[in-house]
Amino acid sequence: MICLAATIATVEPLGSQARSDVEEGRKLFAGMCVTCHGFEGKGGDAPSLNRPKLVRAPDDAALRALIADGLPERGMPRVRRLTDNEIGELASYVRSLGQTAAVTAPGNVQQGRETYTKRGCQSCHVIKGEGSSLGPELTEIGRLRGPEYLREAVVDPGARLPRGTLPIPARGFSEFLPVVVVTREGREIRGLRINEDSFTIQLRDAANPNQFYSFRKTDLSRIEKQSGKSLMPSFSDRLSKPELDDLVAYLSSLRGAQ
Amino acid sequence: MLISTFFLHGHLLAQVPYQQIVRADSEPGSWLTYGGSYRSQRYSQLNQINRDNVSQLKAAWVYQIRQVGIIETSPIVADGVMYMTEPPSTVTALDVRTGRPLWTYTPEIPKDVIVIGSPPVNRGVAILDDTVFAGNVNGHLTALDAKSGVVRWDVTVEDNKKGYYLTLAPLALGGKIIVGVSGAETGIRGFVDAYDPKTGSRLWRTFTVPAHGEAGSETWGQDSWKTGGGSTWLTGSFDPDLNLLYWGTGNPAPDWNGDERQGDNLYTCSVLALNPYNGKMKWYFQFTPHDVHDWDANETLVLFDAQLGGRERKLLAQTNRNGFYYVLDRETGEFLTGRPYAKQTWADGLDAKGRPIVRKGTDPSVEGNLVFPNIQGASNWPSASYSPQTKLFYQAAREMGTVYFKGEAPYKAGTACTGGGGQAVNGDPAWGAVRALEATTGKIKWEFKLLSPGWTSLLSTAGGLVFAGTEEGNFFALDAENGKPLWDIQLGGAVRGIPISFAIDGKQYVAISAGYALFVFGL
Repeated sequence: MICLAATIATVEPLGSQARSDVEEGRKLFAGMCVTCHGFEGKGGDAPSLNRPKLVRAPDDAALRALIADGLPERGMPRVRRLTDNEIGELASYVRSLGQTAAVTAPGNVQQGRETYTKRGCQSCHVIKGEGSSLGPELTEIGRLRGPEYLREAVVDPGARLPRGTLPIPARGFSEFLPVVVVTREGREIRGLRINEDSFTIQLRDAANPNQFYSFRKTDLSRIEKQSGKSLMPSFSDRLSKPELDDLVAYLSSLRGAQ
Repeated sequence: MLISTFFLHGHLLAQVPYQQIVRADSEPGSWLTYGGSYRSQRYSQLNQINRDNVSQLKAAWVYQIRQVGIIETSPIVADGVMYMTEPPSTVTALDVRTGRPLWTYTPEIPKDVIVIGSPPVNRGVAILDDTVFAGNVNGHLTALDAKSGVVRWDVTVEDNKKGYYLTLAPLALGGKIIVGVSGAETGIRGFVDAYDPKTGSRLWRTFTVPAHGEAGSETWGQDSWKTGGGSTWLTGSFDPDLNLLYWGTGNPAPDWNGDERQGDNLYTCSVLALNPYNGKMKWYFQFTPHDVHDWDANETLVLFDAQLGGRERKLLAQTNRNGFYYVLDRETGEFLTGRPYAKQTWADGLDAKGRPIVRKGTDPSVEGNLVFPNIQGASNWPSASYSPQTKLFYQAAREMGTVYFKGEAPYKAGTACTGGGGQAVNGDPAWGAVRALEATTGKIKWEFKLLSPGWTSLLSTAGGLVFAGTEEGNFFALDAENGKPLWDIQLGGAVRGIPISFAIDGKQYVAISAGYALFVFGL
């Protein structure tokens, strides 16, 4: 198990050039990276970077390559072509994030696991093969998402739905988007969007997750895409502050097979 | 039986003289140039497939490409043969009745070929007499025997090591093959070239960026013209009566950082009217002076004639990447009208001469600046279409914004020199639409919404139809008068191919590429 409150490497004094690189890198990061990786790399709908070791960037060469090329299959675009100098500045800044003072994440992983089970999260989520699959799989959610994002996902699930990273269904589209459709005969169906094109839409029934629907749009009198909403209820009133901290700590600890 | 017919009719004796291309409109069963005719209207006069029967359209044959990649080809059809291109630079001749390959030519492409600024694609060939002409991503232009695919000649248009490469379909004129180049993202200096169809020798070259001391050079700061960009990466149009060749030019380099190239940066983001005999410029019109958003003006230049301002005029129209639709007098280059055809947030309109009234604070920045249209434009390489029947100009608009970034832009030959970039705001907030514009005014008559901003080219036909595709794999036909959908099919891969129509044995067909295949539909 990996705890968020990881040991932090010793901070070494930076030379003036290095400080300048970090400062320039901070500006680049603020423009291109904050949206997903969060302020100061604390994580968002992309992993946190304020860690001494980055799984996909164990050394500087790997970090530079990752910044240059992105991770398209994971949804990290190459926002723009960077010069070698700019890549160096960004890498310096990202490395500096791992040298900041240790932040102890609140919450207890073991108690979070119990909260997860007690609140029935497994009725919609799968962890390591166990649970139901209506909602996102969580087996490695701690690697994919930062703790702030996970906290928000529990408190206000519709605030930031996951976005597709693959061409199918489609890159950038909201996943698990609640949709209400009404057929021309007046039948109303609530479900999650599984896929869509300009002529058809495919849904998974909200009440009966084993039921799929496929409609031609011309057969529907209404299609309401409920952006900002989620089928998952908010747990803000159902969890105490310590329970929420514990649950976020548990989710953050889920890092797949490691 | 079919094979014997094939040889008996001598369909492999492919012969397409220049005058036949000039009269392409009188031969609607063929598709003789990239845009269907020199006017680039992508309009078919065939009407066998029409509003009443298009719902019965079915696949006639499918051709699977050999190497995975994006197909952006617009096939040529002549004498029973379809000439298409496969990514990155393969040319394939198909039996138009069956889709069976007749020959394939694949040039040697070095593993370290430099293709910066677009995927390694090819948009088609040109045909003239008994020869097929194709560019490739290694910066070459090759002439192939139309009957066998054997190489007649191969020339280097410009050195790929400096970032030059070709993706466009050449344009065949009388005694000349015209090509342009890609590569502004590496700081090339763009040009339009003419080659002798028989020998491959270069007849003229017209640079799109003037050298120091030449007219227009005052619009470039210091030595920035040397790496000024101005690619010419999409096929132009031609008016045989006026004897004028029209060619669009791309962005100035570096794309998103204009600090070192103060001025209008002529003749980037422009249309050039050239004398095809010597390449000399008769007039130009610049759509986006001092562009800092990568809004090339290479988009299809559609030629049509219409009443405007109380008299019949010869017109040129373009739905520009910058979000505005423009109509020019193609004899003089005079700006006649222009208006937005998609959401744009960078200009308060166009002045009387068509120059954009640019809003302050819309340039790229280090922190990022959200501007519409998006980094790939409200339009791009996909073809527009004009129907003389409806007098409407059809365009698939891309409704999306981009957060534009400004960055460093050091020049090193053969490497990216873009000075920034952008993050498009894609997904559910973005969308697209097939729009019908009144050709002389740009007013939107109807639109058909698309789930996402597409890369679809459009084909209009005398059957009263407009064919289009989607990123999600739909291929469909709309009523050209009102945009009502009449037929659609899911092809299983993004539609990036360019639709054409042709006839063989008295039957009309429509061809489109999607995913990794080319599909042909008929009744």
